[in-house]
Amino acid sequence: MTNSMSNWIETLEKDLGVEVLDSPAKLQYFIDVEHTNVHQTLAYLRHVGFTQMSLLSCIDWIEQGKFQLICILMNWENGVHMLVRTMLDRENPEFTTITDIYPGAVYYEREIHEFFGVHFRGNPTYQKPLFLERWDDMPPLRKDFDPQAYSDSKFPRREHPHVFKTKVVEVTE
Amino acid sequence: MHEVQKNDRSLWEVVGDYFRANSIWMKWYCTGCGAIEMPPTMTSRFDMEQLGMGPMATPRQADVLLITGYLSTKTLRRVIYSYEQMQDPKYVVGFGSCTLNGGIYYDSYATINQLDKYLPVDLYIAGCMPRPEAIMNSFGELIEMIKKGEAKGWKHYKENHEWYKANQMDSLGEVIIHDEFHE
Repeated sequence: MTNSMSNWIETLEKDLGVEVLDSPAKLQYFIDVEHTNVHQTLAYLRHVGFTQMSLLSCIDWIEQGKFQLICILMNWENGVHMLVRTMLDRENPEFTTITDIYPGAVYYEREIHEFFGVHFRGNPTYQKPLFLERWDDMPPLRKDFDPQAYSDSKFPRREHPHVFKTKVVEVTE
Repeated sequence: MHEVQKNDRSLWEVVGDYFRANSIWMKWYCTGCGAIEMPPTMTSRFDMEQLGMGPMATPRQADVLLITGYLSTKTLRRVIYSYEQMQDPKYVVGFGSCTLNGGIYYDSYATINQLDKYLPVDLYIAGCMPRPEAIMNSFGELIEMIKKGEAKGWKHYKENHEWYKANQMDSLGEVIIHDEFHE
């Protein structure tokens, strides 16, 4: 890590009031923030050069009863990636949209609502289906969703044993 | 020359099948990971044209529909649309274990497990994925089947239309496509 970079990170920590954690990968850092502080953190990070939002994703921590939202930002001036992570309550997952900071998040929010059931206040289109058509069960990427049971109930399987017709192809020299 | 079998075909169908078998147009529709095996099959390495087969862009002009790999329910709706647009006679080839019994996606919430519940499959190719040699071999087999009049899945689809439609409805809910790009 260069000296200027460590100074830059110290400034970031002082302004945000959180610890910037290093990751094994080069030029990739992450910060954990409260879900009420996400928007001011993102607005600040966008102001200091993190103009690209690469990904907004979600993880289901079922044992802790939490959903974790992950936002990956990139700064094109110095090539730094920043992960902003926050925990949401799993029982009543609600979050305020970040589309007014990063407009590209509109499709990620639709995806997260579709696959995890997180509600995004302030995004008028988040409930429209994006990938799944006519979905009729709980959001499928939640850990307590059983894909095998769903597949068995919807898609018939071939009954075993198979009877194969074999054919010997002889190779002549 | 192989022996001409008449079975249930009229003489004109026998003659027609003989010529159809030598000029097959393949619908260029890539449904899964097996589509990547098609470029080497089509181009100079294996050269599908030596069998008289060529790619065709639209379903209305194609003879054979290749299901190249896993089929999600979303894709299956489009595949059924494409298949029903194709003109008779039409043939379906299922690639790989995903179309046979689900393959590695046997427990997926988004992919079907058995293709011949929804569309009449004339020929399956085993493998994950089948290599171009296997695909070329199966195309030769398909040509023989067409000449002998064994590839009659399209007749089966007409005769058992209710059975296929019931299966499609059970798994898909409805075949009509609703998405924001068509609204």
